[in-house]
Amino acid sequence: MIPFAMAAILITMFMTLIRAFRGPSLYDRILSVNSFGTSTVLFIVVHGFLNGRPEFLDLAIVYGLLNFIGTVAVLKFFGLREYGSDREKEETKKL
Amino acid sequence: MRHHSILRAVTKFFLPYILLFGLYTQFHGDYGPGGGFQAGVIFAAAIVLYGLIFTPRIARKVIPYRAVYIFMSLGILLYAGVGVATLFMGGNYLDYNALNHHHPVHGQHLGILLVELGVGITVAAVVICIYYAFADRLES
Repeated sequence: MIPFAMAAILITMFMTLIRAFRGPSLYDRILSVNSFGTSTVLFIVVHGFLNGRPEFLDLAIVYGLLNFIGTVAVLKFFGLREYGSDREKEETKKL
Repeated sequence: MRHHSILRAVTKFFLPYILLFGLYTQFHGDYGPGGGFQAGVIFAAAIVLYGLIFTPRIARKVIPYRAVYIFMSLGILLYAGVGVATLFMGGNYLDYNALNHHHPVHGQHLGILLVELGVGITVAAVVICIYYAFADRLES
């Protein structure tokens, strides 16, 4: 059963990659990269249980965390064109 | 980011757990996946997230530039200091067996722990410094 789950996750990752390369707008690409990260977390977990190594859960947690921070950073960079300076007035004006 | 209340709430909720997970990765690295480099990156990722959601000005109040510079050097000093200490205790450079002549295994344990701690401190400081450098970049 688990190999089928791995295959399904791999197919999902492949489809999200297609959307990342062909996505018409920026937000399609960001969303596809984010869901690619989520699929990677699932893949690591399933792979860990397939090989009987539950330590892989730690790696999955780290990957999910970095995925979250990376998505926030990319969205902030494309929304404000910078990583957030101290100019809060300009920031709130753009939002 | 003043209007993104969900992001702010999630960040405030998760921040201590991210820091705790970094410490877990640091000190549990002997028995599971982890180690100094990964722990440093996770620890720095918490500060980067804090600086992203709240402004870098507030993040610099938590960890100022001076502390970053000091910790960068302190980690390398700890790493090299363990090596020099083993030299003085009659071994080769970074020869952990020399740290405890009666129980070389305990010496190995202590040496690995200190060296990984040095690596973790340096990596965390360097990643935070890189983030500060990007966040404070003036628009050309």
